Amino acid sequence: MKKLITAVAGISFLVGAASADVASDHKAFIDYFKAMKPNVEFADYTNGVYAFDEGSREQFEEILDGIPPYEEALEKGGEEFVKFGLGKCAALADPAAARIKHPYFDDATQKVVTLEGVLKACYHQQTGKKLGSNKGKIARISAWISDQAAGEKVNVKVEGAGAQAAYDQGKAFFYGKRGQFNMSCADCHVYNAGKKARADILSPALGHTTHVPMYRAKWAGLGTLQRRYGGCLKNMRAKPIGSQTETMNNLEYFHQAMSNGLEITAARYRK
Amino acid sequence: MKKVLITVLSVFALTAQADFLGSAHNWNKGSSDSFKSAVKAAEAGYKANLAVEMAWRDTGKMIKEAKKLNAAGKTAAAVALANKAHRQSVNATAQTPLAQSAGPLF
Repeated sequence: MKKLITAVAGISFLVGAASADVASDHKAFIDYFKAMKPNVEFADYTNGVYAFDEGSREQFEEILDGIPPYEEALEKGGEEFVKFGLGKCAALADPAAARIKHPYFDDATQKVVTLEGVLKACYHQQTGKKLGSNKGKIARISAWISDQAAGEKVNVKVEGAGAQAAYDQGKAFFYGKRGQFNMSCADCHVYNAGKKARADILSPALGHTTHVPMYRAKWAGLGTLQRRYGGCLKNMRAKPIGSQTETMNNLEYFHQAMSNGLEITAARYRK
Repeated sequence: MKKVLITVLSVFALTAQADFLGSAHNWNKGSSDSFKSAVKAAEAGYKANLAVEMAWRDTGKMIKEAKKLNAAGKTAAAVALANKAHRQSVNATAQTPLAQSAGPLF
């Protein structure tokens, strides 16, 4: 009996410690940006780089004032959601709830489940066909789903030892230097956020995941968060890792958790 | 006298070696064995980097290009490129332990 109590207490402590760890990481992350840009409100990080640069923000607002270039794609995404019967899958029955729930750690498979991962599985179940991971149909549908949750807050939960391990792997990936340029995600999007890299202003990692999938002028279309990971890795001269792999999902898990408390936005235009 | 003798013998030895290689030997091609060992080292390093998802973007392309150069008879260039790919894989290996336990600087 004594052993059982000790074991239960131990597990409870570990779970508590795991949650506390994420909370302290999140606080340190926010505090870092607060110290870096004291005049930028926390809520404004949902606007990414536009929270930092006045000129870019004016352009951004002008684009949003008209018909945003992704408007048609989003409509199509909504139609495709219905056409392919994706609402019949339990995980996607309530699109807004699905956006808020993902990514999460699934105790049964001991893996992180992303919204795009669920979309791919559901699409295959409904149509018997495979769905890509980065752009086109999956980005359109995922963006439409995210729009249904606009105004809700990112709320990624990291509970339990398995979830903590996945989160830690994602965190190490985010801060680890790799590629020929020996750079980490954090080198650009934390330590040098707001500074220029050639003609572009580096966006802050805080708030990155509030507007995904995003429309990028460079892509002339919508793309998923993990599509962007691939592009960043290439820029760092590291070999990109496949989208929806365990490593990329763990990175997304950590990355999304750092934006906890920020509103999901439908303003998904980025340069 | 001794120095002259050594010089003459050295020249003779080098000439004999050159004759032994035959007129078909291309001095600019380098050795096929050195390419084999260079590309083997590069491939082994790259494979190890891939296994831990730490490979660099261009290493694989360099190895492919080195093989093409070697097939085209440009062995010296092929060896140089294979060595470059190997150096990339060595650097990627050095990044690996640090990347696996990295954390914030604040």
